[in-house]
Amino acid sequence: MLTRFEHYAVTELMGKPETPPRSNGTLCFGHEWERTAFGVALALTKQGYFEWDDFRDELIAEIGAWEAANPTDRSSWNYYECWLAALEKAVVKAGLLAAQDIHCAR
Amino acid sequence: MEDLFNYREDREAYSAARMRALEDLLIKKGIITDRTVDTVLDFFETRMGPFNGAKIVARAWIDAAFKERLVADAPSAIAELALPEGMAGAEGEHVRAVANAPGLHNLILCTLCSCYPWPVLGLPPYWYKDPTFRSRAAREPRAVLKEFGLEIPESVEVKIWDSSAQVRWFVVPERPAGTESLSEAELETLVTPEAMMGVAIAKAA
Repeated sequence: MLTRFEHYAVTELMGKPETPPRSNGTLCFGHEWERTAFGVALALTKQGYFEWDDFRDELIAEIGAWEAANPTDRSSWNYYECWLAALEKAVVKAGLLAAQDIHCAR
Repeated sequence: MEDLFNYREDREAYSAARMRALEDLLIKKGIITDRTVDTVLDFFETRMGPFNGAKIVARAWIDAAFKERLVADAPSAIAELALPEGMAGAEGEHVRAVANAPGLHNLILCTLCSCYPWPVLGLPPYWYKDPTFRSRAAREPRAVLKEFGLEIPESVEVKIWDSSAQVRWFVVPERPAGTESLSEAELETLVTPEAMMGVAIAKAA
């Protein structure tokens, strides 16, 4: 069956802790940078720089690390902070940018 | 409280700066352009989503002949509307519509999210893939609908439509009473994804 990558990418994350926040059938972004982080991750995967599964593994690892660091008080949870951290790691692993470049540019 | 607020503001600013830096580096390297993000998001925000289903349902509410064609042959009827390409082709080609009526309430289910009519309804809610929801909705739909806040009288028949790789269903809810004076665009705002799944009904604003 013909499936658009955009749809595949999001539904692959459904029903799991790494599911993107959404409401009434649309994605929810609290801030512009969250929308950018989402779009860049999808674009880089679509352009073949890394596999969606690899990005998802980074995202799961980031969420796991956040949960381990915040075992009781989860009031500071932000899904897209984990997404952004995963994206930075995926970009470095794919050899697109050096970790040093990202660090210096912040 | 003020400290907490400032802390959160700082975090937002930090994340925004981090993302901007990353995007700038990728643009400088020629890996993406400043249009890339908008192009990706355009797909979700303007091409494929529940706003399409809302347009289809609103048209069915004001045009009984269109509604008949929609239930008889959804892809052909949908193709009459000026919706983005892919609505009635590609994955959407197996979309079928069932209409609620006095004495009949329809509910859609599916085994996988790939069987959800997403060009029309958008992204499925988290519980849609839940095995408990699926088995319970098939077994005791009235009890499940009641948990959604929708009580269906015994006199009304509840029909279940199980989507598959071949057919993806969506529900045409009944037009709410008291909406006779509304325009088509105003009617569209009353059509929710939940109503098109059959776990809610459309209500006048």
